[in-house]
Amino acid sequence: MKRFHPWILLALSLLICALTARDFLLQHRPDAIVAGPGVTEQRRLSEWMPELEGTRGDTEVYLLAGADTTGGDVLVLGGTHPNEPAAFLAAVLLVENLQVSHGRLWVIPQANHSAFSQTEPQEAHPQFFHLPDREGGERRFRMGSRLSNPLDQWPDPEITVHHPSGQSLSGNETRNLNRCFPGRREGTHTERVAWAIRHLVDSEDIKLLIDIHEASIEYPVVNAVVAHEHASDIAGMAVFNLAMEGLDYNLEPSPKNLHGLSHRELGDHCAPLYATLLETANVIQGRLRGKTSEAVLLSGDDPCYHDAGEIGMNRVHYPEEGIPFRQRVWRHIAACRELIGSYSMMHPEAPLYISGFPEGTVLLEEGCGPYLMPVP
Amino acid sequence: MSLWILGLMVAFFAFVSFRWKWPIGIGLAASALLGGLLGGTPLWAGEGRGLLRHLVEGAFVYIDPMLIMASAIFFMKCIEDSGLLSALNLRILRHLGRSPFWLSILLAAFVAFPGLLTGLTTASVLTTGAIASVPLIKLGMDRRRVGAFIAIAAIIGMVAPPINLPVMIIGGGVDMPYIGFTLPLLLLCIPTLVLSSLWLAYPSLRGVDVTPVLAELDDGPWQRHGVKLLLPLLVVLALMSGPRLFPGVWPSIGLPLTFVLGSVVALVSGDRVRLLRAARGATHQALPVMAILVGVGCFIQVMTLGGMRGELVIACLQLPDWLLFAGITVSMPLFGAVSAFGSASVLGVPFLLALLGRPEIWVGAGLSMMASLGDLMPPTALSGIFAAQVVGEPNYLKVLRHCLLPAALLAAWALVVILFAEPLSGFFAGLFGGV
Ligand SMILES: [Zn+2]
Repeated sequence: MKRFHPWILLALSLLICALTARDFLLQHRPDAIVAGPGVTEQRRLSEWMPELEGTRGDTEVYLLAGADTTGGDVLVLGGTHPNEPAAFLAAVLLVENLQVSHGRLWVIPQANHSAFSQTEPQEAHPQFFHLPDREGGERRFRMGSRLSNPLDQWPDPEITVHHPSGQSLSGNETRNLNRCFPGRREGTHTERVAWAIRHLVDSEDIKLLIDIHEASIEYPVVNAVVAHEHASDIAGMAVFNLAMEGLDYNLEPSPKNLHGLSHRELGDHCAPLYATLLETANVIQGRLRGKTSEAVLLSGDDPCYHDAGEIGMNRVHYPEEGIPFRQRVWRHIAACRELIGSYSMMHPEAPLYISGFPEGTVLLEEGCGPYLMPVP
Repeated sequence: MSLWILGLMVAFFAFVSFRWKWPIGIGLAASALLGGLLGGTPLWAGEGRGLLRHLVEGAFVYIDPMLIMASAIFFMKCIEDSGLLSALNLRILRHLGRSPFWLSILLAAFVAFPGLLTGLTTASVLTTGAIASVPLIKLGMDRRRVGAFIAIAAIIGMVAPPINLPVMIIGGGVDMPYIGFTLPLLLLCIPTLVLSSLWLAYPSLRGVDVTPVLAELDDGPWQRHGVKLLLPLLVVLALMSGPRLFPGVWPSIGLPLTFVLGSVVALVSGDRVRLLRAARGATHQALPVMAILVGVGCFIQVMTLGGMRGELVIACLQLPDWLLFAGITVSMPLFGAVSAFGSASVLGVPFLLALLGRPEIWVGAGLSMMASLGDLMPPTALSGIFAAQVVGEPNYLKVLRHCLLPAALLAAWALVVILFAEPLSGFFAGLFGGV
């Protein structure tokens, strides 16, 4: 093929690499998360596992402690899957807005920090999304990938063997944090992150875990609270209260035969932890979606999913106006509030009392802006 | 609707690759570029919003299979030089040459073997396929038919357990662990391997005298090195199966390093390996395929970006029930024109979701065979192109013509497994106490 002279092709490739390297490197910059008035300590996950220090797996841990420390401890995980942006942002809003009077709230907004540094090939996701802050400025957040960055863990085995159950999964799930629990101290990068989180749960005596996620509309478990069997009462009460507020949630039992998930493994290994997980419906994760862009990420409105609804592929009702980002964030915040409320009701001896939850009416009408602090 | 853009991309690709004879990989990447621009994405824009970022990102999706392919081909070149492959082949002929029935079947299994371990048709066609082609042609079989024999056996090797990449891709999309697939995959592979190999090879081999062919083959390597000759293969097998036999104890080092270590062993276990020549030969064979995979990655990324991927899937799923199965049988192999893995990911997952409620392991296994047939679909037709190369047929379409009937058999059998997933899984669960 003389038409494609090798030197010309090589020069062209180098040019493309130089031009695009900027884009990829930009995604390695950390997101700005502002510690709100309720944050009493800003710590790092590596405090629970020193081996993580200096790696991309080390991530911010925000502690919001009440003056009265006799209460219980709750841990919220956002960004276990960084391609589920409403999950990440709900955790950010908790950090920037809540005030705790009784007990301690721990929030890890970017649980799989490594996975925030890349987007997934073939998904054509935007690398960033932008939201206004309360003073009219702009906040930029990363849209990451479901899997840890291969720069931190590579190559994938042909088959992932989960520790300790021995269950097999496809090879790339080895970089999926929510298939690596309870983790392993000498394990892979992702297993170490899982182990660090588990160790935090153990050593800080966490009573309730809320792992926030999103899923595609055709995925069987969506608009759901998934609960370990030990947490089914608390989750059931929360689902009931959410329904009173007009927010429909399915209560899904944590499957016993699917290993590596936070609610299954931490619920089993860190008993008597109440382990729960939240799902909202996110079109930009789905395989049936049309054009992929930041606009669709935020609007949650996709013409293909209307067609999908007509042929019965959608697992939840997909309204005319779509399922916007702000609504998904609101659902997560409301569910966190109700889960924590149910926990406190059942454990009056060690409750968690929180104020400052973002309000549904404001979120739905004005979006996240009023609850996002300007970056100093 | 933006499916018209996809139409233009395909037309542009067909034009440059058939008319202007552009390399397939470059044609795919160029049509991706065109499709992205038509969809309104600027070539470059800040914060990764430009088309170039998407093209580079898409290009990286198959980097692991690319490395596996390159290292596997290098390994096979090394054991070809060391004399291992010809020794194995000679043994097959010596023991089975007088039984064309068993020769057809076992030679097909021999060809399928590397694919079964790597999940890639190219690993089969270029290695054991290349070796098996020599005696088959010598025994008087038409070389295009030999090409088809190799290509089909390689497809079956790709589907066969323990490694079936399309099933893993489909399973990853619906949270289905890669467990319990051995039986359905064997049921898909064994009958089709037997029937298609008999159809393609048996008539030409029947009544052929194997003695003169045997006399021509050189058994020097085995006489010089004996069992030591087998070492590279044993090392590779051990490194591949170790992590599965001793999970958590034996680390998985990845297939590329596995093959490289096997190659190192081949340097000392048999005849002299001409290292540089083997490396250059392997690169020469692997490069066009790697380019195709890069192009495919760009192509699918642009399809996703512009919404064509979703629209295509919706169009397939909109088929009425009675046409859905026909849709699966036609669209999945057809999408292989882009890539068999792409077909598994783009179509396989939604089809499985649309069929949810049937035993998903059996349905997933059937869908994986449909997707794998895509490796016979021009213009990428990885299996067919390499098979033609191996048997020295300049026009790979002539090889593919002989593949038509066996491919139809594979598709029909996969469809049967999907349609009768319920009774099949029930029957085998009863037989083995619910595996
Ligand atoms: Zn998730």
